[in-house]
Amino acid sequence: MSNVFKALADPTRRKVLQLLRAGPMSAGDLADHFDVAKSTMSAHFAVLISADLIEAEKQGRSITYRLKMSVLEEALLEFTQALGIQVGSPENDKSIANPNSEER
Amino acid sequence: MSTDRPNASRAALSRGLIIAGVILSVAAALRLLSPAHISPEIAHRMLGALLGAVVVVYANAVPKALTPLMQMRCEPAAEQAMRRFTGWSLVLGGASYSLAWLIAPLAYANLLAASLLGTALLLVGFRVARARSGGVRN
Repeated sequence: MSNVFKALADPTRRKVLQLLRAGPMSAGDLADHFDVAKSTMSAHFAVLISADLIEAEKQGRSITYRLKMSVLEEALLEFTQALGIQVGSPENDKSIANPNSEER
Repeated sequence: MSTDRPNASRAALSRGLIIAGVILSVAAALRLLSPAHISPEIAHRMLGALLGAVVVVYANAVPKALTPLMQMRCEPAAEQAMRRFTGWSLVLGGASYSLAWLIAPLAYANLLAASLLGTALLLVGFRVARARSGGVRN
């Protein structure tokens, strides 16, 4: 559960989840909505996958991400979004600032 | 890349057995404690609330149970929207079922609870029927 809270604490990851509500999207399509490096986006995706909030499926050469949130997790997303909760800035999140140093 | 399906099946089976055990244990405990230690009304209400909670637990997981994209026979976005709608409807239906059993007058609790959960089921059925007839794209 702490993984879920960690994943929902970041506005970028919350935006990814909101985009995925419309339906599955490829990594490239998702990244186009953000003005950050691809490696940073990959690190965000990794956090969401480890929290079991999204699922990645390989289709040919691209990866498609799908929403995998229970009703409770989605309610939690709405709650954190409404309150604008942000636990620590992304710069302080070591796993995002240095995506290559993250343990997989 | 994809989730470990055998592990997920094992976890689902374990969860199902645990929930079944909890239902049977609570029902047995209420039967033993009523009417000597718990009034029959409270026992009746608790059992109703427990059944609503079971619906909530199962419905909560509905949007999380994904079908692999390769095996999907409809548009993935529509399937996802259907899962989310079903999950939310049944969670709210189950929660209102529990609430009705807990706070409504006992004479009306059963009817009110069944109506609320029945409405949620009807909404889901209506949405599924519309999707099957091609009325809903997502």
